[in-house]
Amino acid sequence: MRSARVITLLRATAAAGAVLLVPMPAVAAGPQPASAAAKTEVSISPVDLQGPAISAVKVTVRNAGPDRMRSLKVSFAGPVGWAVQPAERSVNDALATGQAVQTEFRIQVPEQRPGFTVRTFTAAVTYKGGDGAGSATGTLSQATGEPVANLKAAYNSVAITDESNTAPGDYDGEGNSFSAQKLAAVGLTRGASVSALGAKLTWPDVPSGTEDNVSSAGQAVALSGQGSRLVFLGSGIGSAATGSATVYYKDGTSTRGSFGFPNWSFDPADAHGATLVASSDGRNRPSGYGNAGIAYRVFAHSIPLDAAKPVDFVVLPSNGGIHVFDMAVAP
Amino acid sequence: MPEIPAVSRRLLLGGALATGALAAGVGTAQAAPVMQAGAVPAPMPRRRPGQKSMIDVPYESHGTVRVGVIGLGNRGSGMTEGWSVVPGCTVTAVCDIRADRARRTADRLVATGKPRPAEYGGSDESFAQMLERDDIDLVYIATPWEFHYPQGKAAMLAGKHVIVELPIATEIDELWDLVDTSERTRRHLMLAENCSYGRNELAMLKMAHEGLFGDITNGHGGYLHDLRELLFSDTYYTDAWRRLWHTRSTASFYAMHGLAPVAAAMDINRGDRMAVLRATATEPKGLADYRERFMPRSHPSWKETYVNGDLVTCLIDTAKGRVIRAEHDVSSPRPYSRINSLAGSRGIFEDYAGVMSTSGGRIYVEPDHGGHSWRAFDAYRKEFDHWLWRKIGDDAANNGGHGGMDYVLQWRTVQLMRAGLVPDIDVYDSAAWCSPVPLSVKSLAAGGRPVEIPDFTRGSWVNLRMGLDSRASEMPPVA
Repeated sequence: MRSARVITLLRATAAAGAVLLVPMPAVAAGPQPASAAAKTEVSISPVDLQGPAISAVKVTVRNAGPDRMRSLKVSFAGPVGWAVQPAERSVNDALATGQAVQTEFRIQVPEQRPGFTVRTFTAAVTYKGGDGAGSATGTLSQATGEPVANLKAAYNSVAITDESNTAPGDYDGEGNSFSAQKLAAVGLTRGASVSALGAKLTWPDVPSGTEDNVSSAGQAVALSGQGSRLVFLGSGIGSAATGSATVYYKDGTSTRGSFGFPNWSFDPADAHGATLVASSDGRNRPSGYGNAGIAYRVFAHSIPLDAAKPVDFVVLPSNGGIHVFDMAVAP
Repeated sequence: MPEIPAVSRRLLLGGALATGALAAGVGTAQAAPVMQAGAVPAPMPRRRPGQKSMIDVPYESHGTVRVGVIGLGNRGSGMTEGWSVVPGCTVTAVCDIRADRARRTADRLVATGKPRPAEYGGSDESFAQMLERDDIDLVYIATPWEFHYPQGKAAMLAGKHVIVELPIATEIDELWDLVDTSERTRRHLMLAENCSYGRNELAMLKMAHEGLFGDITNGHGGYLHDLRELLFSDTYYTDAWRRLWHTRSTASFYAMHGLAPVAAAMDINRGDRMAVLRATATEPKGLADYRERFMPRSHPSWKETYVNGDLVTCLIDTAKGRVIRAEHDVSSPRPYSRINSLAGSRGIFEDYAGVMSTSGGRIYVEPDHGGHSWRAFDAYRKEFDHWLWRKIGDDAANNGGHGGMDYVLQWRTVQLMRAGLVPDIDVYDSAAWCSPVPLSVKSLAAGGRPVEIPDFTRGSWVNLRMGLDSRASEMPPVA
């Protein structure tokens, strides 16, 4: 049973298939007893991620509370869509203080995907007695592969096109894009420096009509720096471009923060707490430049960092509506 | 066992026996089954003493897989050549009620440099003589539907493994008998469900297992193929056998090509099971209309009355609360489709979407997509391409019919037998996928009333196990 208080990440250095183990401590939920020094401990054995396979998983529950633990039920879940057998296990026998019980589940593991992947598994228990909390959870995150080297390596969307050739653009899923000429008119030229929320960011340094931003889908991106905030430069598609990013530090710990961008047009400029960086006039459509007089915008937003630790990599939110042009650490 | 939620006694016993308690004093709870009040029940016959499940039973290893073929019409003759080109496979005997077909098939094999197979034919009992041979490991059956059950059973009783074209049987008691015969003889019988090895279908399966669609909630599949011209041909289906089925049954005859891939993606018999079916059918208009317009009054079809609805739809509830819609329509003017759609809490895939992609499919999954607009499936098929297609896709394109699916099915079946592996598709899958044939008749006769689908695994469906989403492996070298 690991007793780390924060997520611990052990970076894999071996060949593909190596497992990164990220054990988390048990987290008690519900009303806490007056003396909560000793809480129910829930731990999950490492999962064999060499799929496709049916892998066995052991969940261990330890009664660290002062009373006997009764009516214990254990459930286990993996990433969404991964089948688990059985749905729940019930433990007949009561657990004395300090006693542990191990239950076993089976989970369907898919073929490993290339690139960096974090798989999170959760065990939830309910019980009577024990520490008096009534429920607890344990979480295990395992990662395979390596983060991509930088944001540019994760580019997957064409946001900027030249007004003479708008066809390659597809920022919004409908073939529309920013006009390179109109962005330049407000200072956003290729490779331009952008200062926002205390961070020094860089506008994409790629030719117009090529992939120049990341539609956020949980990509893991290496990043260096140390500071108080992580600043994102981007804008949203739709009005629900919000999500959580997870920052992993060199020491293996992590923090998580939420941010969002307004839609690139129409939404209030401060929606989701964002800050307007630049507005360009009109946009490029598949048929050419148009929508003159309507602002298409770029924003900045940030999440807090643990300023005492150097950053290792960032896992972007799982929301394709969030488009990121750059990210950087602010002092 | 404490605190187990209310489930039917049969399912409870099946789950408990199959799963077992993995630690002393530990009980399990499975998902409650979807059993609808008023559903026509499905009896489950007991196993005979000593009779055991064939789940996870591997083939014995074969240096060479020796195939005997029964039925050499359009399908059988084409597949015979397919078997003959799979590494480590040889066709040792061929049989058809028409002896000349056996001779022509043998001639074709010889012309391509293959050994001449033994020929059987001339009567509807010729296949029984072929089954007496001791140089056949696998019997492939491609005869009219009414012969599949007796020939499949006879082949197992003769000690052969069996692969049968759709359907393996057309009655529930026949399906049970094939399951029991497989268990008693320890021979595998599998449906020749080639579409389950389709490139898009296998990618869809792998995406489902990855969780790209979230929790799977529903899927649609079927067989929508305008066969009117072939059904009225005097030469394509021997003695018009397939058209005659439309005169005597209301069944969803052939939906398995679309049903099976969806069932695989839902892990049917591998953690879930098809529990209840209810059917609807439109009026049988298509064949009569075609006959009116295109067939001379002297044609024998004018003595026929068609009773099979043009569109027969089966709605199937699974034990875990998913819904499958399986359709069958071979008598209406329309483009071809097996539908192939799968949806869940995070997205949807649809095949046969027209011209928007080279793969033919379209997709919409969060968080990758937004804006309520479909995207091409191509990149996903490439990312989730099944190892079989990565490995033998080029060979399949050169050797097999139906876009290569036939060759992948045949190659994989031979590989499983030669390497001594567990079948991807077993008799339980085959029986479940074919059960809508008789059950649609039963439901339609009862005005669309729900009918229970038998649990051919006898409770073992609760166990997760491998299937078509298999691990990559090699074909054993040919000596």
